[in-house]
Amino acid sequence: MSSPTEAPGAPEASGTPETADPPVQPAEPGTSAFAIDKALERMLRRARARSIAAMILVPVFAVVAALLIGAVLIAREGADPLAVYGEVLRGVFVANRGLRNTAVGATPLVLMGLGLAIAYRARLFTIGAEGQFVIGAVAATAWATAPTIRDLPGSIVIPGAVLFAVLAGAAWSSITTLLNVRYRTSIVISSLLLTYIALSIMQWAVRVGIRDPDSFIPASRQIGVGSLPTLPVLNVHAGFAAVILLGPVLWLMMARTRLGYRVDVLGHNPSALGANETRAVGVMFVVLALAGGLAGLAGYIEVAGVTQRVNSSFSLGFGFTAIIVALLGRLHPIGVVVAGLGLAGLRVGFAVAERQYGLPSSLIGLIIALIIIFVLIGDVIAERLGLAERS
Amino acid sequence: MDVVFSIATLSAGLRLALPVALAALGALICERSGVLNLGIEGLMLSGALAGYLAAYHTGSPVIGLLAGLAVGAMCGALLAGLMVGLGTNQIVTGLAFTLFALSATTYIYSLSFSIGQNPPRIERLSMPPLVLLTILVFVLVAAVLRTTFAGLLVTSVGESPVTVAALGYGVARTRVLATIAGSSLAGLGGAVLVCGPLGLFIQNVTAGRGWVALALVVFAGWRPLPLAIGAFFFGLSDAVQLRLQGTQTAIPYEVFLALPYAVTLIALVLRGRNTRTPAALGVRFDPRTV
Repeated sequence: MSSPTEAPGAPEASGTPETADPPVQPAEPGTSAFAIDKALERMLRRARARSIAAMILVPVFAVVAALLIGAVLIAREGADPLAVYGEVLRGVFVANRGLRNTAVGATPLVLMGLGLAIAYRARLFTIGAEGQFVIGAVAATAWATAPTIRDLPGSIVIPGAVLFAVLAGAAWSSITTLLNVRYRTSIVISSLLLTYIALSIMQWAVRVGIRDPDSFIPASRQIGVGSLPTLPVLNVHAGFAAVILLGPVLWLMMARTRLGYRVDVLGHNPSALGANETRAVGVMFVVLALAGGLAGLAGYIEVAGVTQRVNSSFSLGFGFTAIIVALLGRLHPIGVVVAGLGLAGLRVGFAVAERQYGLPSSLIGLIIALIIIFVLIGDVIAERLGLAERS
Repeated sequence: MDVVFSIATLSAGLRLALPVALAALGALICERSGVLNLGIEGLMLSGALAGYLAAYHTGSPVIGLLAGLAVGAMCGALLAGLMVGLGTNQIVTGLAFTLFALSATTYIYSLSFSIGQNPPRIERLSMPPLVLLTILVFVLVAAVLRTTFAGLLVTSVGESPVTVAALGYGVARTRVLATIAGSSLAGLGGAVLVCGPLGLFIQNVTAGRGWVALALVVFAGWRPLPLAIGAFFFGLSDAVQLRLQGTQTAIPYEVFLALPYAVTLIALVLRGRNTRTPAALGVRFDPRTV
């Protein structure tokens, strides 16, 4: 998948393949080659505009198509689809705490989606965010509920918890990198296996390791002073600030920094990195550690802002939904923020509408899964029509 | 440790191993042809629901198994159409299908039965015929892969699709058929889970077994016999874990929960660079580029 933003000073690496096929030599002004040069440049610009349009239009069409199928299913249940969709909108924008719940629900999806988007741009297909998420949550909770620590003020406990969560998530993700670099294990498979090992560790932690001695069921202590304060005006836990902040920051990183450029080069042509004396392995470590760190942070924020403690049903598959968010956001940080808020909003609105009209609660999961399947198909159609770069 | 070697644990291990073994064999067929099918979990779930509904309405668990096989094949055709026909990203497509199946099975099930209530039990198949069925399927698949032209074609397509295309055989057709065959076995695995000793369907009844199946294929180095052994090992580990859950022991039961995954990871590392991974696994083949 291509990126709509390109690093400055490096436009030669960013052409779409179908137009960049013939090698373009810089030409002297006044020669016919110069005219060809100009024409090629115009073609490139137009191809890029088309490809950006396809990137935005495909998800829009996918959402519309999925909602149309949803409407058929709603009608089958005997409800009026328009009324139900109206209720969905009301549930998000009008109902008490609709927007707040959307922001809260979007936070883990966006944070993990951002890390995954960057990893996928480097063609590092990790699917281990779920494991890094619970490891981060357990590490941060272990710190914040440890004997002397829990009596310290929040100004010490919270930064410490953030640090532990990020480090734990990054370390867990780095196992994948290490195994890939050292033993060439598949990133997809090892990150998935590590997720299951992480879930086992969490089960043990809440049963024995960080268990609340006063709890009948396996669960950690309340995170207490490690709990996140509520943001003024927005009335959302402070973790949402990370979403507002990190979306643009990572966008700038991908668009304007050397690291962001190297991530895209690693995704498109890894051997070019070596030719420029950059070690691909270094970029891999940074990218996967970043993805893991963000997932770990999301884990802490989920505990400190929502659940207040870790128990054996703590993970709800956010790490897998985040994969959809990353893809729906076209692997672009701002797109990921939009996609995360959009999916969370759909969930919140549907929860209200499903209750109102007595619809099955699995309907929204079905619609979200359809959206991503339609995006996949739409991308291929756009590519066949010559509108987008091959992925 | 005597709990590990009791007859009850061994038979529980076998019972837990059967669905995973069949699904893993299905994943193996797909992967040998170069298609990384991450939809196995979703296929098992679809097969499980199909098997349950068919057995519930006809009263025959054997028809349930056939329904699981058929629905697995139908979903496999859909996946093959996307991944091979359209050439969508295999990782994303498989994941999306699994998420889709998780919601779709819950949705379809909730149309007939209300979630949360005790689901009606169906007539169950006993273990011996299921074990026999699994062994037969394994022998058949191993024989086809090893000794027949079709098996050779599947493996060749997974190793070097360009060569196969140059020899004039259909890469896409082979992959589509392998994906459908493999997916139908994954569906059968789901149906065996439900129509076997369990006898009921609940939301997300497979609970990640499809992912175990994918891990087992790697563990077994893409060979059927080690796959069967690996599946039994997983079942045993799962049985021990379930056994230990209620008791106080020196070794936490979570160790056995994580053991199959950890062992697979170690097997991956030990196999290391001298890998048997199909060379073209997960790589889409585009005849226009040849």
